[in-house]
Amino acid sequence: MIIFAFANQKGGVGKTTTAVTLADGLARLKHRTLLVDLDPQGHLALSFGLEKSPGLYRWVCLGESIDAVKVEIRPNLHLVPGDKQTEKVKRQITLADFRETILADLIHETDYDVVLLDLAPSLDVLHLNGLIASDWVVIPTRPDALAVDGVKEILTTMAEIARSGHRYRGYSILPTFFDRTTRETFLQFQDLAKTFGEHVWPPIPQDTRVRETAAYGKTLWEYAPHSTSIEGYSDGHQRLGGYRQVLGRMLEVINGRA
Amino acid sequence: MAERKFERKTILDPAVADLLIGMEQRQTEAQMPRKERERISRERAKIQSRRDQRATYDLPPSIRESIRDLAEDLRLPASQLVTLALARFLSDYTNGIIELGKYKQPSRSPRYDWNLVFPESMYPKKRKVKGSD
Repeated sequence: MIIFAFANQKGGVGKTTTAVTLADGLARLKHRTLLVDLDPQGHLALSFGLEKSPGLYRWVCLGESIDAVKVEIRPNLHLVPGDKQTEKVKRQITLADFRETILADLIHETDYDVVLLDLAPSLDVLHLNGLIASDWVVIPTRPDALAVDGVKEILTTMAEIARSGHRYRGYSILPTFFDRTTRETFLQFQDLAKTFGEHVWPPIPQDTRVRETAAYGKTLWEYAPHSTSIEGYSDGHQRLGGYRQVLGRMLEVINGRA
Repeated sequence: MAERKFERKTILDPAVADLLIGMEQRQTEAQMPRKERERISRERAKIQSRRDQRATYDLPPSIRESIRDLAEDLRLPASQLVTLALARFLSDYTNGIIELGKYKQPSRSPRYDWNLVFPESMYPKKRKVKGSD
C-alpha cells in the first residue's frame, strides 16, 4: 500500500480536483484505490455527484468498519466521504492518546493498493494526521506568490514531522491553473523549478472543462478525456503537462521508480 | 590561469524542462521588435506546417545515395523524388502490378510476421565517380 496526501495550506489551488482525477485515473488502471476526505467542506462526494455524508466521523469517532463507511463510486474506487461532522473528528482526535497516528493506524488496517488523502487548507490535528499517514505528499499550487508560500509552509511542517521520526518517501509540487502565456506564471514556474528542481511535476493547464466537470458530478476522464487539463499542451509530437502525464509520474512513485 | 566558472545544474522533470525552454523563448520574443517577432512567428508556423510531412524510415545506403545523386543531377528536392517513387509503388501495389509474395520471409520479431528480403540485383549500382577508373 502507498498513501498519497494532497496538501497546501492555501485554499483554491486544486487539491480536490487533483485528488479526484488521479484517484479515478488509478482506478481505471485497475489499482484498488481509496479516497479519504479530510476536509469538513466534504467536496469529494460532491465531485462524484453524491451527497456529503459523515463517513470519516463514523470511521474515526464511532469506530465503524471501513466496509460500513466506504462508498463504492466507480470500479476499484472507494470513497470515505466527509461533511461538517469532520470538525468533531478533530476534537475527538485532540483528546485521544497517540493522536498523531490515529488515521495512519486505521488506513493500514485496510487492504487498498493506493490511498489518497484530500487535506483541508488548514493546519490542525487532522491535517497533521494526514501528513503523518502519508508516504508521498503532492502539493498542488497555483503559480502565484501566495500559493507558492503555502508550498513552503507544508514543507516546513513535513520537516518538523520528519524530525520526530516519520520517513516520507518523497514529495512533489504540482503547478495547477497553469497559463503558459502570462509572464507571472512563467516567473513563478521558473522560481519553483529553480528552488525545487525534480520535485516539480509537469503542470496542469488552466482549463474551463475542469470547473464544468465538478458541476456535472463527473470526473475529467469521463467528462473531458481529451481536454488540455488531461492531455497537456501540444508541442510537436509530444504533450507537456496535464493529468495523464502526472498520472504517469504517480505510477513511477507507486512502482518504486521515482 | 583563468578562473573556471562552475554553474550548479538543477535536475528537472523532462516535461518541466521542455515547457520552461518554450516559455523562455516566448518571453524573449515578447521583448523583440515587432518585425522580428513576426519573422520568428512565420518561421515557426512554417516548421509546424512541415511537421506532418516528415517521416523517418531505414533505407539501404545505396538507395539513399542514388536518390541524393539523382536529385542533384536533376536539380530537384530529394523529398519530391521519393514522393513520386512511393506514389508509383502504392499505385502499382494497388493495381496488382507489384507482388510482395516472392520477397516474403517469416520474421522472428514479436512486432512483425514477415520481412521483405530483396535480391542484391535490385539495389542500384554505385555510380562511377568521374575521373576514376
